[in-house]
Amino acid sequence: MSGALAERVFVEKLGRVGLRDVTVVERRSWGIDDCARYPLFDSELLRLMRRLVPPAAHDRVATVVTFTARKP
Amino acid sequence: MRDLMHKAEIQQLVRDAYAAIQFPAAAGAVLYSREQLGQLPPGAHEWSLGVGNPVAWAALRPGEVVLDLGCGGGIDTILAARAVHPGGRAVGLDLLPEMLQRAGEHAADAGLDNVEFIEGEMEAIPLPDATVDVVVSNGVVNLSARKTRVFHELARVLRSGGRTSLTDVIVDDHLPTEILTHPSAWAG
Repeated sequence: MSGALAERVFVEKLGRVGLRDVTVVERRSWGIDDCARYPLFDSELLRLMRRLVPPAAHDRVATVVTFTARKP
Repeated sequence: MRDLMHKAEIQQLVRDAYAAIQFPAAAGAVLYSREQLGQLPPGAHEWSLGVGNPVAWAALRPGEVVLDLGCGGGIDTILAARAVHPGGRAVGLDLLPEMLQRAGEHAADAGLDNVEFIEGEMEAIPLPDATVDVVVSNGVVNLSARKTRVFHELARVLRSGGRTSLTDVIVDDHLPTEILTHPSAWAG
């Protein structure tokens, strides 16, 4: 998550390497409970997230996006 | 609070975190359709660490060559291999030998002969130029400390007319620094 890009930057980077028709085909909110399903998030980080992220945003700390693109 | 911005340190941290995972995890299994899960050998879904279902959006066709960047336990690679059969093949690329070994076992259990797993970095894909029809990845681009390099590499290996279907975690809102600099947040 620390290395995650913003959606706009992700799209720009795909375009910058020559890919075209960059399209967001799926966008889904990603919450702390989603993170907790993954063993890569340790309990300390999850506790930190629950403490520091406002409760109203617990279900959308990030977004999972699927991008499609094509090479001309 | 540590600043883990050094690229080599981030890569080692990600490598160590994935190597330490206690399976079964099955974290991403809920993201696949019942039909897709039915195409996997028993137990393979327990190695699912993806965050989406990029193969479902890839519109794969028989005969195509697919590269799965950061294939992990090989779930998406296997689904891709089935979708491009007959005549096509799927290549899974991963940094970790232990993941590749498990992915190979899953492919063998699935009885597939059009799958290949190779060890390497997504920042230096060990494939020739213009040899791949479709690149998929599932929650791994964010793990790279050299994302521009990853995008250049995936464009390099794609044939003209080739496609990508990339699922990844996106952070648009500002998360507290204490979260973003936590070591576990680099691998998760």
